[in-house]
Amino acid sequence: MTKKDCVRFAPMIGAREGELSEVEARALAAHLAMCRRCQELAARFARTDGLVAEALLARANARDFAPFVDQVMDRIGTGAPQGARSGRGLLGWVGRHWKGTLSVTAPALAALAVFMYVHFGGPGQVASLEISSQGVSTVLQTSDGPVVLLPPEEHPS
Amino acid sequence: MEADDLALVERARAGERDAFRALVVRFQRKVYAVALGIVKDPDLAWDVAQETFVRVHRGLGDFKGDSAFSTWLFRIATHLSIDAVRRERSARKEDVDEVRESDLEDGGEGILATPLGTDPRQNALRRELGEKIEEALATLPEKHRTILVLRELEGLSYEELAERLGIHKGTVMSRLFHARKKMQAALREYAGIRGDADRDGEDET
Ligand SMILES: [Zn+2]
Repeated sequence: MTKKDCVRFAPMIGAREGELSEVEARALAAHLAMCRRCQELAARFARTDGLVAEALLARANARDFAPFVDQVMDRIGTGAPQGARSGRGLLGWVGRHWKGTLSVTAPALAALAVFMYVHFGGPGQVASLEISSQGVSTVLQTSDGPVVLLPPEEHPS
Repeated sequence: MEADDLALVERARAGERDAFRALVVRFQRKVYAVALGIVKDPDLAWDVAQETFVRVHRGLGDFKGDSAFSTWLFRIATHLSIDAVRRERSARKEDVDEVRESDLEDGGEGILATPLGTDPRQNALRRELGEKIEEALATLPEKHRTILVLRELEGLSYEELAERLGIHKGTVMSRLFHARKKMQAALREYAGIRGDADRDGEDET
């Protein structure tokens, strides 16, 4: 049992059912059966598993959320959702973020979208990422749904 | 639950404020918990959670329901949280994802030597440990906090983590490994809480 084996297998400890390939899962099981160090590591990880979620949810549950929803509803105003329309002077930090990263990420994402169309765009398949610019805001159509990027002109430099 | 979410989403999309309000109430605490785990500061987490719902409301018209509403919601919360941290963080050396032989060294177990069951006698220990977990989590680098929070709180798989964070599955695994090791190391520093919690348990019997 060399440390080299452990370096390979230690990151697999804590994988859930189906997350490792069959080959990986079998190799990990064989290693764990023989390696005391990784057995102990697995036991320690198991002891803390779930504690982070428990602690954070406990903290969230202890906080008074009474004003939260009213504050959100105040911020979205009275209009119906408009999809990818431009923002209305929202928090400055949001605008600063997208201003900084939009120019960097958009070309990369566009290239990725092209890649995905080329490689996965066969009959009956839809690329899972596309980009559109509508007016002053940009919408990333990710596989999970649209992510609206705020217009950079909120913070003229 | 998911079908119920979609029904609310449809109504919210049609402009029913009560429906959107119900979605906010349904997810507000979990979104806040995710944000808190990543940004650490409770007030910043509150702002991030609010901004998440504002973003979601604005994007409802484009949400096609290809994935679960909650997946979309937490994706936005994750990105806003990470961004909030990165804006505030001063430039400092990033930890590598690679796992090296030295990372396997064991530094002892401290308070983690005993499994934490659901025995009521251990409630005091659990409660106190909850606070220590949060403190320990806060000592981790942002990328390690984030992956641990998404794995544990949102329950994302390796594949989903890779997609969410834009990294390879191998990196997901090694980053999670480092995050767990760091949590263990951070928790060892709080070994002192052990004795008090045990005494509380003894008194209840
Ligand atoms: Zn090993």
